[in-house]
Amino acid sequence: MSKYILSTKYWSLILCISILYSCKNHEDEYHSIHDKIEAKSKDYKGTSISSDSYIDHVKTVEITEGNHTFLIPERKSQLQSYACMECHTKPLSEMQKNNELYKKAHWNISLNHANENIMNCITCHNGKNMDKLHSLTGNQIDFNNSYVLCSQCHTKQFDDWKGGAHGKRIGSWAPPRASLTCVNCHDPHKPHIESRWPARFNTEKVKERK
Amino acid sequence: MSDNNKKWFSLNLNFSSKQKSSSDSCGCGKTTGGCNSSTDNDVSHEEFLDAAVNASIGEERRKDGFEQVFDVKMDRRTAFKKLTASLMIGAGAVSTSCSMIAGEETKEKAQIDWEEQFKGNYKLMTDEEKQGTVDRLVRSYQLRTGKNISMSSKNAEEDVLFGYAFNISKCKGYMDCVNACVEENNQDRDSQMQYIRIHEMKEGKGFNFNEADDNYYHEVPAEGHFYMGTQCFHCDNPPCVEVCPVQATWREDDGLVVIDYDWCVGCRYCMAACPYDGRRFNWSKPEVPEEEVNKNQHYLGNRMRKKGVMEKCTFCVQRSRAGQNPACVEACPTGARIFGNLLDPESTIRWVLENKKVFRLKEDLGTEPKFWYFMD
Repeated sequence: MSKYILSTKYWSLILCISILYSCKNHEDEYHSIHDKIEAKSKDYKGTSISSDSYIDHVKTVEITEGNHTFLIPERKSQLQSYACMECHTKPLSEMQKNNELYKKAHWNISLNHANENIMNCITCHNGKNMDKLHSLTGNQIDFNNSYVLCSQCHTKQFDDWKGGAHGKRIGSWAPPRASLTCVNCHDPHKPHIESRWPARFNTEKVKERK
Repeated sequence: MSDNNKKWFSLNLNFSSKQKSSSDSCGCGKTTGGCNSSTDNDVSHEEFLDAAVNASIGEERRKDGFEQVFDVKMDRRTAFKKLTASLMIGAGAVSTSCSMIAGEETKEKAQIDWEEQFKGNYKLMTDEEKQGTVDRLVRSYQLRTGKNISMSSKNAEEDVLFGYAFNISKCKGYMDCVNACVEENNQDRDSQMQYIRIHEMKEGKGFNFNEADDNYYHEVPAEGHFYMGTQCFHCDNPPCVEVCPVQATWREDDGLVVIDYDWCVGCRYCMAACPYDGRRFNWSKPEVPEEEVNKNQHYLGNRMRKKGVMEKCTFCVQRSRAGQNPACVEACPTGARIFGNLLDPESTIRWVLENKKVFRLKEDLGTEPKFWYFMD
């Protein structure tokens, strides 16, 4: 009798283990791709792949916002007439007084961003120090960090951009991350993007579907 | 060939694993049958299955490359057919290589053709064999066109699983991605085959592919419409791989579903099996003007294809495995396309999956595509 009980024990043990094994040995060990990602990234050690060679054609600066640290293109060296102090030697209010003495500058810029109740030039530009931008509360902001200005109103876009859901990565998916900043795509004076024609039209598809 | 060198195709009948588990765990020391079973003639289900498999295709399970081709049981008709085909190639090769008139280059070409004809499945190759075939293909291209290409056989990197996210709110239907893809991947210009489709959909109608237009030509974005792109989703449980009768397509360790163009027989089962219309077939010989050929190639990616084989998006394996973004991601002017390593907790793709409301197409099919859609 005891021998019989022992053997049933063995049998149930074998059954259990074989069920366990057969589940484990199924083509896919994971129930879903999310389980797989979670399990496999637990002891993620990083890869040998780096983005360095794909972003070295862009001069970048590192920024840290919240939990995110990444590179954005350096801006000041890309601005044609920076530093502004080379012309703006006096505060704007004084320069505007003797208007006829100076050549008209920035005639090609017209502000088409929100309405005049919300924005004008000095919402972002600092008439007393043209080399810097300033926030709504009057804090100085460097041209390289112009995204700080945008983030004052566009908070949702700012959150998405920090995380990587808005905007565009430069070159590589690998770390270190380099992303374009707001003004690389949106003209801050005219942020709306115009419609245009698609890059191509498939004429063969038209024939196939006749 | 040693038995533990597992390079052959094994039928996944859950057989070997079960038997192993019982023999490992059993206290009585018997390796077959139950603990208290007598050694009678009862044949278990698994043993029967194994015997049956062995009797039918047993030998082929242990073969690769040359053996797979030469050492096969077949009827007379097939044997003659194969013999004739091989003789033609062989005779050609022998006549050119032994000929006194043929130049060194012709002989080399024949030698390459011969070796390429009888190479094994890329999936089963060792790294040296992979390098070998890549070197032959590069040399062959050089001999035929006088131009140099670089071809890689880079394997999947550890700790990498590629994933893709697509922002429906951002895509404006410019189709720059399609252009970039065609150029990057050396797709046939005449047939205008494209991996990517951009669907223009009416707002308020949801994902209605029946009423969507994937070949529009007017100023975009059109009012009252949104745009979404489809391509190969690199499913983690890919039905196209299941149906391939010759194992010419498979999922790599970094999640890319790839095709060995030299092993594909062009049956198009995979095309029918794909629920996302992700696969394309070369109805004619793909032609790319010599000056437009992208010479940075990968064996599994954008190397030149032949007539009668399948191809599809590989997430630009020649770029992505080197660390670069796929051509579509790089070309997209709106930033609607996000690509990255799903296993890196710090990656942007992971942030999107964890913080945006993402979904996939036909999730209920269980194909587990690694291509997520989301909105702002």
